Amino acid sequence: MTLRILKPGLQTTVQAGPRAGLRHLGVPASGAADPLSLALANRLVGNALLAPGIETTLTGVRLLFEDDGFAAITGAKAKARLNGERVKPHRTLAVAAGDELEIGPAKAGARNYLALAGGVAVDEVLGSASTYLPAGFGGFEGRALRSGDVITVGPHGKAPKMLKTPKEFRPRASSSWALRACYGAEVDLLSKESRFDLFDTNFTVGRRADRMGLQLEGARFQVTSGGRLASAPVFPGTVQCPEDGTPFLLSIDAQTIGGYPRVAQIARADRHLIGQLRPGDHIRLLWRDADSARDELIAKHEYWREWLPGIGDVI
Amino acid sequence: MSPGVTLCGDDVVSVECEDTRSAQVLADHLRESGDWLECVAGIASCVAQFDLAVMSAEEAKQRMSSALGDTPVAHDAETKLIEVPVCYGGVHGPDLDDVCEFLGVSREVFIGWHTGSEYRVDMLGFTPGFAFIGGFDQARDVPRRSQPRVRLESGSIGIAGGRTGIYTLPSPGGWQIVGRTPMALFDAGAEQAFRLRAGMRVRFVAIEATEFDERREE
Repeated sequence: MTLRILKPGLQTTVQAGPRAGLRHLGVPASGAADPLSLALANRLVGNALLAPGIETTLTGVRLLFEDDGFAAITGAKAKARLNGERVKPHRTLAVAAGDELEIGPAKAGARNYLALAGGVAVDEVLGSASTYLPAGFGGFEGRALRSGDVITVGPHGKAPKMLKTPKEFRPRASSSWALRACYGAEVDLLSKESRFDLFDTNFTVGRRADRMGLQLEGARFQVTSGGRLASAPVFPGTVQCPEDGTPFLLSIDAQTIGGYPRVAQIARADRHLIGQLRPGDHIRLLWRDADSARDELIAKHEYWREWLPGIGDVI
Repeated sequence: MSPGVTLCGDDVVSVECEDTRSAQVLADHLRESGDWLECVAGIASCVAQFDLAVMSAEEAKQRMSSALGDTPVAHDAETKLIEVPVCYGGVHGPDLDDVCEFLGVSREVFIGWHTGSEYRVDMLGFTPGFAFIGGFDQARDVPRRSQPRVRLESGSIGIAGGRTGIYTLPSPGGWQIVGRTPMALFDAGAEQAFRLRAGMRVRFVAIEATEFDERREE
């Protein structure tokens, strides 16, 4: 099956699971910024949970199916139309050659996922099919999709069941988020007051918000040591605080090494939410110690396992 | 108790290291154990990410502590020496003249310095395969460019703060670009995608522009 991109939107890429175990070579994770939503979409078309799908950003996408197949949409709150008719997210959709699908602008949340039965057929680079834009590899020619691109979808076995995601397994995109977080390695470099404010500020996501990371506005932190640190490893979910006092939350494409104090780390259980944050959203960080963060992750896995048996590989 | 091992976040443990080399040796040792998701060395620390679903923070700290006890000592002599041909200046090294002026030396003296020592790859990081190579002491005070370049070609050789950086892939960058190597340093299809590895010894060899063109590996 092939499909043709008619209108690519702000940033539409092929994303699958992350690149794992390569950060020591400077290779960032990349992959779906909201892997839970990619998994939910893949579940509806009978794919492996992290099979390559299409990730859109804020403005959606318009595309044309050139063959028959099956698709599903998840992620941000957005209207979708198939040949002009509204179609709902979280359902297996049968599509036919000549059908035009439009995912509209995201009203809440930042990214939508389109899964296609068989998965987008692209080569793996460094262990993943995901696009890593800053270095231009993976996915479709290492870049965001453009008008006229023709995407090949792999063969799928028998037709998938026509499914709906059960209601209790549909994450709701919001404009206000609580993210559980633990102290980072250099939290002690924050003044006592700033350390308190870190978990008592209603942050606003700044205009600089992409797959690399997001600026958190609303408080100016005092970094007591000042100056630069010896560069140290960072991860998606790390909150760094540069000299200007405005914290920066690293996302899925974040570099592997950073030179700013690491003041917090979003708990693994909530890291998938970072991919849905958009400029203007409100965020609060909820402090957790490592043991409760672990208990909550295990509880979250147990909850999701009923619908997504492989959840432990997703979030 | 796990002295020196600290938790940073819910699923990452960190340990301070004497220098980058010992951090690298520890990271390699941890990686071999298969216990960790990521093992990354910084300039003066080694960090490991673990699977929080299967291991508690306390267990991770203990594993890190015991790994500290049985980590081999770095054997410098065993590491590979790699010669990196560099075409200095001109279109390949647009910042060479500025750097020479900053240091108050001629191009010839600068190139003599840079090619006159053996260096070691401290770490790969920042962007895929970007090699931090320490030990260029004569250039200790050379700052980064105030305005980073939006795109540097792969193979660009930058200088900043006593380090040489090699851009393995095209990327933006703020280092002072003094030259470029025709050597292909990244091959996504190869088993060893990155030719340079942390710990490798490196020597730069000056080549002419004509040789650069002949040796350009795509």
